[in-house]
Amino acid sequence: MSDELSPNGLPAQLPATDAPAPALPNGRAPRQPRGRRKATVEASEQAGAPATRGRRKAAPAEPAPTSAPPAEEPSEIAVGGAAPAPLPFWGEQQDGAAPTRGPGATTADSLYEVELEVRNQAEQRSGQAPELGFLAAGALQLVGENLRRMGEQQAARVSELLRGVDLTDYLDPDFWRGIGMVLRYQIDEQVAFVRRRMAGEYTTDAYGMDREVIEVVRPFLRFMYRTWWRVQAEGLEHVPAASRALLVANHSGVLPWDGAMIAVAVAEDHPAGTERIVRSLHLHWFSSLPFIAPALAAMGQVPGLPENAVRLLEHDELVAVFPEGLKGVGKLFKDRYKLARFGRGGFVQAALRARAPIVPVTVVGAEEIYPMLANAEPVAKLLGFPYFPLTPFFPWLGPLGVIPLPTRWSITFCPPLPTDTYGPEAADDPLTVLGLAEQVRETIQATIDARLAERTSVF
Amino acid sequence: MTRVLINGIDGPLGARVATMLSAEPGVTVIGLGRETPPAPVGRAEWLEAVLNGQQLLALLRAEEIEVVVHLAFVGAERPTPSREAAVQQNVLGSMELLGACAAAGVRRVVLRSHTGVYGANPLNPAFIDEARPVAVGALRGLLRDYAEVEQFVAEFAARHPGLAIVSLRLAPLLGGWSPIVRYLTETGPRMLAGFDPCLQLLHFDDAAAGFVRAALADVRGAFNLAADDTVALSQAIRLAGQQPVLVLEPLVRVAQAIGNDAILGHWPYDLSFLRHSCVADTARAKAELGWTPAHSAVAALQALRAGGHAGTDPKTSEARLRAFLARRS
Repeated sequence: MSDELSPNGLPAQLPATDAPAPALPNGRAPRQPRGRRKATVEASEQAGAPATRGRRKAAPAEPAPTSAPPAEEPSEIAVGGAAPAPLPFWGEQQDGAAPTRGPGATTADSLYEVELEVRNQAEQRSGQAPELGFLAAGALQLVGENLRRMGEQQAARVSELLRGVDLTDYLDPDFWRGIGMVLRYQIDEQVAFVRRRMAGEYTTDAYGMDREVIEVVRPFLRFMYRTWWRVQAEGLEHVPAASRALLVANHSGVLPWDGAMIAVAVAEDHPAGTERIVRSLHLHWFSSLPFIAPALAAMGQVPGLPENAVRLLEHDELVAVFPEGLKGVGKLFKDRYKLARFGRGGFVQAALRARAPIVPVTVVGAEEIYPMLANAEPVAKLLGFPYFPLTPFFPWLGPLGVIPLPTRWSITFCPPLPTDTYGPEAADDPLTVLGLAEQVRETIQATIDARLAERTSVF
Repeated sequence: MTRVLINGIDGPLGARVATMLSAEPGVTVIGLGRETPPAPVGRAEWLEAVLNGQQLLALLRAEEIEVVVHLAFVGAERPTPSREAAVQQNVLGSMELLGACAAAGVRRVVLRSHTGVYGANPLNPAFIDEARPVAVGALRGLLRDYAEVEQFVAEFAARHPGLAIVSLRLAPLLGGWSPIVRYLTETGPRMLAGFDPCLQLLHFDDAAAGFVRAALADVRGAFNLAADDTVALSQAIRLAGQQPVLVLEPLVRVAQAIGNDAILGHWPYDLSFLRHSCVADTARAKAELGWTPAHSAVAALQALRAGGHAGTDPKTSEARLRAFLARRS
């Protein structure tokens, strides 16, 4: 197991056993006190962040403690009082960064301890019915994640509902009754959230990005990142913590999941913990699709026009592009990991104009999530799609065929190529532009080949 | 001494520009309109008339006008009676005015235009700057009039280098009557299901301040004017105190094909503006005109919900009363 620690004290690499699979406790380093990482995140979070941003960091990802917590630990959750170890960390932040962390967080942290205990019991198969244990842990996690968005009163109400319920004893019907009551209560609270949006009280930027929507989607993406694809992100230190950069990645996997996972990697695993939002450029064709267009915009994606790329970079944003475009996502399974042509070097021009470093990124694992055996072009033409994939599961299994295969992914961020050594006229010089594009392409292909050689199994 | 003619002083914007310009030192303001101004016009004098080209020329010469502010566009500040009459005044009237200005040796003309002249198109960048060509073919109605005038201006300015022509492309105006206000205040403003474009707005007072600056500054060319924040269309409707009504695009297309335009209610622009954003970059106005918007779009929408300019909030009224009583001390 990796013992490399990133600067904020968390293992730099994900342990292989964090998936809900039977795991053997094997001499893992004891878990760092929870909250340290959170504290660094809050300290660096901008004041402009909306109030709803206080929520937990990827809980399911953190390695479970190896030694089972003492069985006699009080099972009733503590509210504010007997706080667990991390309290001092956010105690320091209380004055300045209070709005970034809801008062429900204290309760949620205690819930998190219980959740870990339950998960641990289930992993070691020490309790009865381990599958039920995972489900119980998942339910506790959901309650906890919701709790982190809530106020003091609501948190008190939740802990009142849970009083007297032994949260570690998931075989007791009382446990499920308590959880059920809490979830119902939390749904009522979500209604208030929706009502507020109905009154128009939210903000979007000029590209349509809505941070609240990003917060809503993030737990799901985090689940795909940590549990489904068990993504290993490397070289995140090459991504600047605050300044501009252009991430250039290979594109694969029929649906653009790779872009989403790059964004999660930067938001979750960056050593600086600044939770930067990656603005991916998408084909402008998507902006004319109903429902998809506003959803992409709300999640911070931007139509892939050169003006947009330069403007975002000039505002010191982190921009991701996939120069292969549709040729990449619509690749057949037999062509996997062979980079397609890199457009006409437009991404290099944008980077040169904005004097932004280019960070080549490789994604390995996304090629196999939907093995596209053939492209049914007549169907695609009929529906107006760029391609219509035929995989072993799609369209034969209907909606089930859309579930991606749980391959194991690795995302590598390569050292940046500086562009500030070129003059402003370089952007209009085809030799420089195409030369740099080729250099980026070769870096990505070489890294893909190296990663593939290391890889022992697709899953 | 700068002598300014405001064409369209019979609209609220013209009256406001007249008030602000006549308060500037060394500026004399003369107004021209079809009706009596609807609001105070400061020290400005006005003429109620409908003039043809020759009469305009006579007025400009006799009054030794140096700067013309052209705001008289039918349909911009009150509902249009008929499209034909609107095109006649908006497009042909503007051409006539520009011809008269060139002939009378006017130094500068400031024209009213609209950020919608760029059209709503997925190929437009997220922030459109003034260099983007005007999309005449894609527009209908009032936006098309603006776009045709802009197109005419581009050629006309090249042939008359002595006349500085400034066009101020205004985002949809809030405050007073405007096409977007009529849309936002009708019950159940229509939206296309599955689309929620970003909307840029401009407060009436910020627009007036823009015209004052453009009339007095030594600039030429087009400038975008808009509030600093953008709102999603659905959000704008909700902030104005309404709930959007969703319609399906194929239905709208069928209805429009058989001549039923009522399906979109009072939506003032083309269907494409319900699908795609049209957000203009105001960097040039800030850098060269020194103009900055004082009102945000969100605040202007909240004021719209409160029913106009003055809030009904008792605290605001109290504060305003005190400020008014203290004005002489």
